[in-house]
Amino acid sequence: MFRKLLVCAVFSASVAAENVPINGTVEGNCIVVPDTSGVYGNPSADVLSTAATDGGVLPVVRYDVVLADYYKAVITTPTSFSQSPGLADTVAWTGSAAVHEVSDAGMSAYDTNKIEYNATTEFDLTIAGSTWFEMESKAEYGGDKPFPGGNYTAMVEANCIAK
Amino acid sequence: MRNSLLLLLFLSGYASAHSWTPTYPVFKPSYMDKVLETEMLLFNKRKDVEYFEVMVTDEEFNKLPFVSTNRIYKASYLERVKVQIFIREEMLFKAMYICSRSRFLKQEIPTNMVSSRICSKIR
Repeated sequence: MFRKLLVCAVFSASVAAENVPINGTVEGNCIVVPDTSGVYGNPSADVLSTAATDGGVLPVVRYDVVLADYYKAVITTPTSFSQSPGLADTVAWTGSAAVHEVSDAGMSAYDTNKIEYNATTEFDLTIAGSTWFEMESKAEYGGDKPFPGGNYTAMVEANCIAK
Repeated sequence: MRNSLLLLLFLSGYASAHSWTPTYPVFKPSYMDKVLETEMLLFNKRKDVEYFEVMVTDEEFNKLPFVSTNRIYKASYLERVKVQIFIREEMLFKAMYICSRSRFLKQEIPTNMVSSRICSKIR
């Protein structure tokens, strides 16, 4: 009786066993991850700046690329406020982007090879892994007038473009 | 003092992202004559964003005409959305990128935000 039960159990187990495939494909993929909040300092009445020396905090964005040489990072610093009190005068904007941290030592060359135009900086992501970029942004109100009181919001554009 | 003026955060402080695949989409003939189609996959890993604008552009990132169910797609946190794109056959020579960009509702603009755009290159 016991043997019959055992045979039956073994048989049923073998019938129940199934191979469950797990499929995966490694393909180029870019992920843009906002990492650190940026803060504008207000070192003088007519200036807002993210520089640490101005009391600000540099925003940081992380780019993850799965495969090397598939994408470029194109980062545009603000050239206008998306939210602000009414501004009667013009605002002069300056900004820049630079490598902040890398997951591969070779990525530090990104800074040397970056291309800058207008408010935009391009980095060629030639190595797979994660790269953190920090952005500096400065807004100066026209005619040395003080910025009106209120909340100001500007936006960084973090683009990942397939090559 | 004036510092009370405001300090603006413009990037979100927690891990969030969006992805847009495949990297190199290929257009194939659709069920309509002289119209090509391809399918993209949007994966939203941003908690602060629910809407994404889809666009087809030329080399200079000028927008080109295309057809899709929507221009702005809603994708909740960790949701995957399939996006079908249709273009006219003659447009294939001009079209270079299919991009998705995060969009915010005006009344929900967070004080800390980043606009992320990912562009796939048409093969």
